[in-house]
Amino acid sequence: MAEIVGAIGLPHNPFTAMALHRGDAQLADSRRLYDTLAGHLEAMAPDVLVVATTDHYNLFFEICVPIFAIGVAERATGPCDYPQLPQSDVAIDEPLAAAIQAGAVADEFDLGRSQEFELDHTILAPLGLMPPAMGVPLVPVWVSGSMRPLPLARRCFALGGAIRRAIERSELPRRVVVIGSGAFSFEVGGPKMSETSHVGVPDPGWAARATELIGAGAFADVVEQTTERQLVAAGNASGEILNWLVMLGTFDPRPPVFIEAQLDEGHAFAAWRLT
Amino acid sequence: MSIYAVNKLCRRVVQEPELVEALKADPDAALRAARPPLSDTERELLLAGDVGRLGRMGANFFLMHQLGRAEVLGLTLPGYSERIRAEYREERSADR
Repeated sequence: MAEIVGAIGLPHNPFTAMALHRGDAQLADSRRLYDTLAGHLEAMAPDVLVVATTDHYNLFFEICVPIFAIGVAERATGPCDYPQLPQSDVAIDEPLAAAIQAGAVADEFDLGRSQEFELDHTILAPLGLMPPAMGVPLVPVWVSGSMRPLPLARRCFALGGAIRRAIERSELPRRVVVIGSGAFSFEVGGPKMSETSHVGVPDPGWAARATELIGAGAFADVVEQTTERQLVAAGNASGEILNWLVMLGTFDPRPPVFIEAQLDEGHAFAAWRLT
Repeated sequence: MSIYAVNKLCRRVVQEPELVEALKADPDAALRAARPPLSDTERELLLAGDVGRLGRMGANFFLMHQLGRAEVLGLTLPGYSERIRAEYREERSADR
């Protein structure tokens, strides 16, 4: 029977990933944080990673922008949006993905299916920095966290619950780690960018508060405080916290075994060991 | 008038290296070939690299910054950012 053995929350800045692949010494702190998560991931010994993320206009645009979707396929390549990053052809856990979709739909959660897709930097940039993650099959779950209207925070948290029930009902022998990918406060290319680059952290206070609440295991509080107004103030990529809320919904609330923020980047790194 | 055509063009810049080449070789022709068609105003603003005005018209900033990343329409990533900061200077100082 499938069980969720751990969970991880992480950021996915592609420029950080490129610099770390180059061995940039200025990013020793990011290296340490990804290494810490990689250590936890290795100890969790997952058979599959269910990754909740936000498509950055790479998959969904012209034909349809689903609020929630899951990837059901045999393999996928990427990162399709950053050819400068190492390219991979990774296995998708098709039977588990199909079971999660069927279970969620039966649970009154209308999760769309994508059967042919590429993966973007939001999944493969962070996983590519954690060697134990590569070679483990994935199941991508996309949350529409960029294009408004965004789903409500409580709906994303509830999706996590539906994914959990679907996994726990599955007869597939799987050790599952759920990953939430993204930042809490971040602006890319918009008016809230910094004075010195095309990105910025408009609301580091929100990133700090979200990290504190998540660190205390106060998941209901972070759900309640993730309002549309807060997300607008925190930048055009701040909806990525919804991916964390999906992840947090997949297990009973508790403090993580590790959490650390990089507030000047508006994000945090966290791990939960559930067995 | 829908700003969708502008957003779609920016998105294609990430996915179609041929479009990047076309925008560098003959930007006016490349923009006229866009489908759905760009309005005259949209095409003129894109040719001028006026991302600030396009932002005011509702264009998506994440998608537009890709024009700077691809270095088309006279933009670079720093140049793109400078134009957005200039257009939104008032709101930015009110935010502080």
